[in-house]
Amino acid sequence: MRGKVRDLSFFLSPMIIMVFLFYLIPLVMTVYISMTRMRNWNVDRYLTEFVGLYNYDRLFYMFQHDPTFKAVVLTTLVFVGITLMINVFGGLALALATFFINEKSASSYRLLWLLPRMSPIAVYSLVWYYFFHGSEIGTLNSVLMHLGLISEPIPWGQVIPWGAWSIIIFVNGLVGVSFGMIVFTSALNQIPRELVVAARVDGASSWQISRRILIPMIKWHLLYVLTWQFLSLLTTYPHLFLLVQWDLVNRDYGTTLALYVFNTAFGRGEQDQGLAAAAAVILSIIGIIGGFVTLKVLKFERMMRRPRGDF
Amino acid sequence: MRAAALWLVALVIFGVIASGCIGGEETKTSSAEVQLTGDFTKDAVEIGKILEQNGVKEVKFSAWGSGDPNSVMRVYGIVEAARRINKIWADNGINVKIVITDTHYVASFQDAYKEYLSKQPLGQAGDFFVNSYAFLPTLADEGYILDITDYAKAYQSVIDDFYPSLIEASKYNGKLYGLPQDTEARPLYIRKDVAAKIGFDLNGLDEKVKNGEFTWSDIYYWAKKAKDEGAAEWGLIHRKGSAHPDLIQFIFAFGGRLYDPNTGKLVVDVPAVYKWLYVEWKFARDGLLPEDIMSWDWAKQIHPTVVEGRTLFDIGGTWYWTEWQTKQYYAKGGTPRGLKPEEVKEWFYYTLFPAGEKGEKPVTLSQPFVWMINSKAGQLNPKYDELKDVYHKLAFLMLIKASDPDINAIHSVISAHLPVRKGAAKLIKDEKWLNDLKALNLDLDPAVKDNIKDIVQATVNPINAEFLANVSYMLEYTHLAPAHPKYPALADIFKEAVDKVLRGEMNPDEAVNYIIQKVNADPELKDAVEIQGEIPKDWKFPQG
Repeated sequence: MRGKVRDLSFFLSPMIIMVFLFYLIPLVMTVYISMTRMRNWNVDRYLTEFVGLYNYDRLFYMFQHDPTFKAVVLTTLVFVGITLMINVFGGLALALATFFINEKSASSYRLLWLLPRMSPIAVYSLVWYYFFHGSEIGTLNSVLMHLGLISEPIPWGQVIPWGAWSIIIFVNGLVGVSFGMIVFTSALNQIPRELVVAARVDGASSWQISRRILIPMIKWHLLYVLTWQFLSLLTTYPHLFLLVQWDLVNRDYGTTLALYVFNTAFGRGEQDQGLAAAAAVILSIIGIIGGFVTLKVLKFERMMRRPRGDF
Repeated sequence: MRAAALWLVALVIFGVIASGCIGGEETKTSSAEVQLTGDFTKDAVEIGKILEQNGVKEVKFSAWGSGDPNSVMRVYGIVEAARRINKIWADNGINVKIVITDTHYVASFQDAYKEYLSKQPLGQAGDFFVNSYAFLPTLADEGYILDITDYAKAYQSVIDDFYPSLIEASKYNGKLYGLPQDTEARPLYIRKDVAAKIGFDLNGLDEKVKNGEFTWSDIYYWAKKAKDEGAAEWGLIHRKGSAHPDLIQFIFAFGGRLYDPNTGKLVVDVPAVYKWLYVEWKFARDGLLPEDIMSWDWAKQIHPTVVEGRTLFDIGGTWYWTEWQTKQYYAKGGTPRGLKPEEVKEWFYYTLFPAGEKGEKPVTLSQPFVWMINSKAGQLNPKYDELKDVYHKLAFLMLIKASDPDINAIHSVISAHLPVRKGAAKLIKDEKWLNDLKALNLDLDPAVKDNIKDIVQATVNPINAEFLANVSYMLEYTHLAPAHPKYPALADIFKEAVDKVLRGEMNPDEAVNYIIQKVNADPELKDAVEIQGEIPKDWKFPQG
C-alpha cells in the first residue's frame, strides 16, 4: 500500500502542484477579493479592507434595479443556450456531412470551417464589424441596397434584442462549430467502416446510417463537446468585447456575464475588482452547477466506468 | 510520506507568501535630498552633481501620452526637456545623462488611462503620463501620481504664467498633482457653402451667439431648412461613442450643472438633461441628425460627412481644424486627401456652442490634458531608495522644462490646441517664430524634429495660427466637467440615454427616468449623485 501511495504521489505531484497553484489559489483569491473593496488595482491599499458580502449585496441590488444588468443575465442565457446548440449540432452536422464525401474534398471543406478559429480575434471581429455595420458602409447593407431589397440601411446589431443576439451568436458560433467538427470527425473515423458498408448493402440511407449507427457510437464525444462548450461559452468574452467596444452591437444585449466581469474589472471608468470578483464567483458557481447537471443528466459516470476485462 | 506531503504544501504556501511579499516591503527613507530654489539651472546642476557623486551616469525615464494624431508633443515634449537638461549638465561638466527609454503614444486616452491604472501598481507604467484631468482625482486618490505642491512653491513664477483655471484643474483636494499640457475649446462649426445655399447669413453670428440671441432653436430652424431644401444630407453631426465631453455642453447651455461644490456630489440636473435629450430626440426624429450617430465610424463617416459638406452644423473640437488637414478624410473626386488650410478657412465658420434657449448663455467645454508624474518615477534607476527624492525632483524639473513656452507653442500650432501659458500664447502670434517652426529652424532634439516634421509641414501656416488666436476668447466661456472619481460612470449613463433617444427607443421623459433608475441601481453611484429638479412640463422645442 505504501508503495502504491508513493508511486501515485510521484506521478501525480506535478499535476497536484499545478492545480494548487493555478486553480485552487486563484479560486480562493477570487473569493477573498470579492469580499474586499479592491479597485483600481491598488492591492496594497485594499487587499486588507474586508467588507464581507458587500459586493454580493451590491450585485444583488443591481440585479433587482438595473435594467442593464437584467439584459446581461438574459443575454447570457440566450447566448450560451443557442450558441451551444449551434456548436454541438452544427459541429455534428459538419462532421457527418464530410463523413460521406471523399476525403480530399472533406479535408478542404473542414479547413474552411477552421479559418475563423485560426484568424486573430481582432481581424476576425473586424471582418464582421464591417459586414454587419449598421450604415451603408456595412457590406450586408450595401449588398441588400444594391439588390433593391432594402431602401435604408438596417442597424443590425442595434435591433434589440434579437439583432444584437443574432450577431454575437453568429460570430461566436462560427468559431465554436469547428471544435465539435474536429472531435466528431475524429470519433467517426474510429468507427469500423464495415458497419457503414454493411448498412449501405442493406439499403440504408445516409440519414439512417447517421441516426442508427454513427450518432449512437459517438454519444460520449457528444457529451464531452456539450460540456466543454457549455463551460467555454459561459466564460468567453473576447469577440463580444470587440463587437461591443466598436459599437456594432447594443451594449446591454451584447454583454454576457463573462464580459460584464471583464468590463467591471478592466473597464474605462472606475475599475472595480471587488465587484468583478463577486460576479466571477457567481459565474463560477453557475458553471459548476451547469457542468454538474449536464454530466448527471447525460450519465457521464457510465463513460468513466472501469473498462471490463483483465486488469 | 505524510511528512513529505506536509513539507511540500508548506513549501508551496511559503513560495506564494514570499512572492507576494516581494516588492511589498516598506521602502527606506531616502538619504539624499535636494532643496529646489526656483533657479532652474542651479537646481538642475545640484541634482546632476548629487547623481554623479552617487555614481549614476544615466537616468532612465519613460513618457506615456495619448490623443489625436497631431498631439505627439505630449511625449516629445519630455524628450526635448531631457535634452535641455542634458545640455545644462554638459555645460557644467556633469557627466550624467537623461535617457528617455520609451515614448508610448496611443490614440485613445481612455485606453491609455486603463493601461496606466493596471500597470502602475506593477511598476510598469510610464514615469510621465499625459492624460485628461478628469482621471487625475482617481490617480491622486490611489497614490499613483506625485503630489508636486511643495516642489511647485519654488517655481511660483512659472506656475503664475499658466492660466489659473487650468492650474485649478490640475489640483485635487487642494494639492497640485500635475502641470497643464494643453487645453481646447469645442466650437460649433458651420459650413459656409451650405449656409450660403439656404440664405443663412453668417455675418456677425458669433456676436449673436455670445449675446445668447442665437440659440439651439435657431440651429434647428437652419438645419431643417438645409435638409428640406436639399442643401445638405444632414443638419447636424456630432461625436460618436461617448457623451463626454462634447455633448455634456448641452447641460451647461441649458443652464444646468454637473457638480455641487457644497456637497462634493455629482448632479443630475433633470430640467437641463431633459432639454438636452429632447433636442437630440427632435433632431433625430426629423432626420436632421443620424439616428445611429453614436455608432458611426470616425474616419469613414463622421469626418468625411463634415469635410465634404454633407452637413450644415458640426459639434467638434479646435483640433479638428488641423486634423482635417493631416488626415485623408476628404474623398470627393477620387483619392482621399487632407484639406488645404485655405479650404478649411473658406468652408468653415466657427462659433461658441450656442445657448440652449433664450435667457441662457453660450458655452464651451475644455478638457485640459495634464502632465503627471508617476509616484514611482525613476524606480528603475540605480540607488532608487536612497535617491528617491532626487529622482522625483528631477522629474518635476523635467515637467517645468517640458512646459517651456516654445514647446507648448509648437504643440498648440501643430495640433490646434490652445496654449496653457501666457508665454506660449504670445509666441504663436510671432510671425518670425512661426516661420522658424515651419522650417524647423529651432533648437530641438533631432529625434523630435524627425517625428514632427510631417505634421509641421501640413499645419504650420498663418491661417492656423490665426484660427488659434481667434478661438482663444472661447476660454472665457469654458466649463470643466467635474473631476470626480464617479464622473466617468455617470457620463457613461448619459451616453446610453442619448443613444436611446436618438434611435427612438425612448422618448426624452423615458430617457431621463432611465438615467435616474440607472443611478439609483448602483448603491455607490447613488451615494455620489444628487438628482435635482423635475422634468419641465409643457417645455417646447424649437421655441420662437
